[in-house]
Amino acid sequence: MLEISHIDVYYGDLQALWDVSLTIGDGEIVTLVGSNGAGKSTLMKTISGLLKIRAGYIDCDSIRLDRLPVHRIVEQGISMVPEGRRIFPQMSVLENLEMGASINPARKVRQHTLKRIYELFPILKDRAKQLAGTLSGGEQQMLAIGRALMSQPKILLIDEMSLGLSPLLVQEFCRVIKGINKLSKLTVFLVEQDVQLALSMAHRGYVIENGRIVGQGEAKELLCSEEIKEAYLGMEKADKT
Amino acid sequence: MAHWKKLSILTLILALLAIVPLVMELGSNVMNVMVTLFIYIILAQSWNLIGGYTGQVNLGIVAFFGISAMVTHFLWKAGAPIYLAIPTGSLSSVVLAALIGLPTLRLRGMYFAVGTLALAQAAQTIVANIFTRSVSMPGSFSATYSLMPRYYLGLIMVVIAITVVYVITRTKIGLAMVAIRDDEQAAQVTGVRVFKYKVIAFLISGILAGLAGGLYAYVRLSFWQISIVFSPSWTFDALLAVVIGGAGTLAGPVIGSVFLVVISEIFANTLGQAHLILFGLLFILVVIYFPYGLIGSVDRIHQLITRVRK
Amino acid sequence: MNAVIQTILIGIVIGALYGLVGLGFGLIMGVMKFVNIAHGSFIIIGGYIAYWVFTLWGVDPFLSIPAVMFVMFFMGLILYRLVLSPLLKYPRAEMRIDKSLLVTFGVTWILDNVVTMLWTSDTRSIVTAYTGTTFNVFGARLGLTGLIGLVIAVLVAVALQLLLTRTYFGKHVRAATEDSGAASLSGVNVQRTYLISCGIAAAMAGVAGVVIVSCYSIAPSMGLSWLLTAMVVIVLAGEGNIAYMLPAGLILGLIQAISTLFISCAYQQPISLIIFILVLMFKPNGLFARGR
Repeated sequence: MLEISHIDVYYGDLQALWDVSLTIGDGEIVTLVGSNGAGKSTLMKTISGLLKIRAGYIDCDSIRLDRLPVHRIVEQGISMVPEGRRIFPQMSVLENLEMGASINPARKVRQHTLKRIYELFPILKDRAKQLAGTLSGGEQQMLAIGRALMSQPKILLIDEMSLGLSPLLVQEFCRVIKGINKLSKLTVFLVEQDVQLALSMAHRGYVIENGRIVGQGEAKELLCSEEIKEAYLGMEKADKT
Repeated sequence: MAHWKKLSILTLILALLAIVPLVMELGSNVMNVMVTLFIYIILAQSWNLIGGYTGQVNLGIVAFFGISAMVTHFLWKAGAPIYLAIPTGSLSSVVLAALIGLPTLRLRGMYFAVGTLALAQAAQTIVANIFTRSVSMPGSFSATYSLMPRYYLGLIMVVIAITVVYVITRTKIGLAMVAIRDDEQAAQVTGVRVFKYKVIAFLISGILAGLAGGLYAYVRLSFWQISIVFSPSWTFDALLAVVIGGAGTLAGPVIGSVFLVVISEIFANTLGQAHLILFGLLFILVVIYFPYGLIGSVDRIHQLITRVRK
Repeated sequence: MNAVIQTILIGIVIGALYGLVGLGFGLIMGVMKFVNIAHGSFIIIGGYIAYWVFTLWGVDPFLSIPAVMFVMFFMGLILYRLVLSPLLKYPRAEMRIDKSLLVTFGVTWILDNVVTMLWTSDTRSIVTAYTGTTFNVFGARLGLTGLIGLVIAVLVAVALQLLLTRTYFGKHVRAATEDSGAASLSGVNVQRTYLISCGIAAAMAGVAGVVIVSCYSIAPSMGLSWLLTAMVVIVLAGEGNIAYMLPAGLILGLIQAISTLFISCAYQQPISLIIFILVLMFKPNGLFARGR
């Protein structure tokens, strides 16, 4: 279980998160929704250790995460698919995946994990020798997710998965992630701009506004709540038309 | 501190510096140290302008110092009066600065740094290959040698250098320079013509380094090997003075130079070459841990304390 | 005709060495985005260690390479721990580069003075029983030491390439080079990768130093000119193109060798500077850059 308790996060002197608390139970899919600049990505970066907290704590199965360097957090079983995918363009697809298995226990079983990931995304197997920079956007997203899974995480953090992808591809990714969640009991924490999509995938959701958590609940309830409909879904529709 | 207060302190110091040698016999040792100090201050202010205010790391400032020292020396020897020789020397520094600055200042900072370093190295090699014998002014010059005019010329040049830096940093050019240092991309986006202002800062810095070199040629009449005017130690000393005193401040390089000259006087005789190593260590420590210089850090701590008291 | 072959041979021998010099320097610059001005001094120190081992115990310079690499590797680790890693606290890359320029310039200052104190400022070289030995290649002469130096340079370049493409550590280095943040998110210990890379770069500087002291000569003041050579090689190869370092070094070596037919070899440094400026003006991404 991942527990985030009363954290404050700053960019330099600018405070970005105020007193944020949330919990993610084992095997859950939890999502964090909110508008642009509300602090979603900031929270993701904080959990993965890229940003440091000034107050509160983050704790995973009773191990304090917030003092650990980034790679040690990966060792604790928390792996992130970063916003914008951030694959290594000058390295081959296979090498990118190998990088995901950098931590020791994962490195030993990497052949096995690799097979599983090729089953999830067969196209990555065909492209294994190709430079990652030559992949299409969707393939790069597959690679980024595959790379994150290579470390055999307990918890997968996904930052803005749907960004720049076609609706069809997004549906495909949703199916895959739900599948992994069900089959291997992988906990997933999603940050999404597409509120409808995120809430339809998740079991539970949190709402963040201006760096503060302003609501939470079962995903289905949130999807029906008037405030959410008005604040996010309405806006989404207006954007699309 | 109030503005007029600073100004009056400055005037007082200047007046003291101007009067004391007239009324007191300081002895050639002290006078020599003072003239050396003046050279350091001018050179440090030159580095401060391009490195401290504009944020372009110049690792070969000695190239501009050296070329001016050489040009001044040979013009003076050829019969030109010193008040013409030094400005001409300084002009040659500007030409050299344009030569290396125009191709490298367009690119990222490290190319400028390495380009200037390479320029200094190349200049030293060329000069060492051309002038293999010692170079000196005719005997008549050393017979009438007096430190007094050198002292006062140096003092005037220090005043000029500080005034130039003061005035520039309070104009639009100065604002652009600081903007470039703080965030070059942001400056570019907001419409600052980055390249233009880098070049301007560098050329003015070249003039100042040239003045220091000219003064040096006026002070020192003979060179066993004239290539020593291109020795990297000049660059290092200028950098050390600026960094210790606080880069990007008006007083920093002055205080840093005083510190450097005084400490050198104390340690050079007792420790020999080892004192250079100590200077190197001090330099690294200050760059890593005191980004505002030793003096600047003291100032900051002071500010913090007064803020807490309030 | 012989003179032409002779010139080309000289160019290739010294060019391979230039490639070696560029490789170590380029490794730190590529991976950490730090400019290590002290790289030239590291080369010189490597040369002096071999010189010392040779004069004190009579150990052949080329046989002392493993020992020199070992010592220099640790010097690289110390450089990283004491001087470079504290700079990582600066958030902006340009700031880090500027600071690295300053501190490593300070390191150069210290090392050059230490070297002068230890070995005086005289020019030194190692003269072994086989130093004067030459072969006849198409009527031109090729020195044995030069040939060994050439082989070593190529071996080191190949070894580095294999390390970077075939080992897990090498892939970590490349990942950290491309995107250090994404690398650490993948579980790469970026700090450790930096540390070891710095050690490897210093060890490579050591190898270059041994070749230089065996084939040519060293003096404490030569560090900066070797640094300039390294920088020209980097500029020719294009920043971060480790694979092109050796070819770039060869090109520089050939240009210099050919230039000595017309200009005294004492002016090689100014020639390097001119090449540096010309490449920056007309091909800022390196000779091998495909029209970007």
